[in-house]
Amino acid sequence: MSTVSLLLLLVGVGAVTFLYRYSMIGLFASRKLPDSVRALCRHIAPASFAALCASALFIQHGEVTLGFDSPRTWAALIAALVAWHTRNVIATIITGMLALTLLKLIL
Amino acid sequence: MHPKLVEFLAGCRDEAPLQLGVLPFGMICGIASLAAGMPAWLAQLASAIVFSGAAQLVIVQMLAVGSGAAPIGLTAGLLGVRHVLYSVSLADYVRHLPRRWRLLLAYLLTDEAYAIAILRYQAQTAAVHQSVPGTPPGNTAPGATGDAEGSPVRDLRHWYFFGCGLTLWLTWQVSTAIGIVFGATIPADWDIDFAVPLTFIALLTLLIRERANQAAAAVAALGALLLAALPYNLGLVGAIILGLMAGALSTRLARRTRLAREASQ
Repeated sequence: MSTVSLLLLLVGVGAVTFLYRYSMIGLFASRKLPDSVRALCRHIAPASFAALCASALFIQHGEVTLGFDSPRTWAALIAALVAWHTRNVIATIITGMLALTLLKLIL
Repeated sequence: MHPKLVEFLAGCRDEAPLQLGVLPFGMICGIASLAAGMPAWLAQLASAIVFSGAAQLVIVQMLAVGSGAAPIGLTAGLLGVRHVLYSVSLADYVRHLPRRWRLLLAYLLTDEAYAIAILRYQAQTAAVHQSVPGTPPGNTAPGATGDAEGSPVRDLRHWYFFGCGLTLWLTWQVSTAIGIVFGATIPADWDIDFAVPLTFIALLTLLIRERANQAAAAVAALGALLLAALPYNLGLVGAIILGLMAGALSTRLARRTRLAREASQ
């Protein structure tokens, strides 16, 4: 792909991404949300991050690989336990990275 | 210190720990962009124009395997649909702001900034409702608190949101640059990319303290795996929608159980 078409592609994706982000807080801002939609909104963040977690951990090149023999799966599990008990982002990331390093040495 | 600055700095402070995960993510984006044959200046510009790690990674991954512009645009475009949902859930909180503020906050609306800002908005809305028990609901509606004359709390939470967003934006630009400049010197067997799912795990556990949100998360995670085969990342969007339905169902069941228990007493 030429540099110009690449630039156009990036501008296109950037514009679409911005329109998504601006959609409800800008384009349709004057409309009040129905109560049913607002009730669903409470679950948007947990549902999105759960789906992102699952795909980041278990999907590679469009295929599901549960990988219970993979050090990444176990390191992620350890990190999740630390996250749940400490509610500390830095502790979670550092423990997860250390766990992965150690598990790769052992396994 | 001015209250606006206090809010802004609080946003920066609460967003800061996440940068440990954003930094490697941005570096990977920079490294992968060069590897896919992008010129360095364009790789850096992409982080400012697109400003979405997931979309940028998809673009360079597909470029690397020689996909055309149309499938790349479609895939990256669909991957971003979840931002519409973030936008919906923030709509009530920022409705009162001038347009320039909404444009700015929309540009800065990323996964990690959203997660921190929404925790703040939801926590403080609850607090405002508790602290002014006799106030009619109209005065304590989210977003309206700052505008009403003589309202108990002036709403400056958009400064908090701005602090979150700007912190992440700066990290993103700097980390892309680090990836572009030093990428070649980082050994390939260092698992710096693992910091990305770790960040998502940390954020997820902050967000699932309620039963209904746990149901939403469990179903969305399962859905993401079951729908993984769908093209153009449609599976991710489908999984999130399934999760929303599970959350709503769980809320409704809990309410029905509570009503039944009250009726039987």
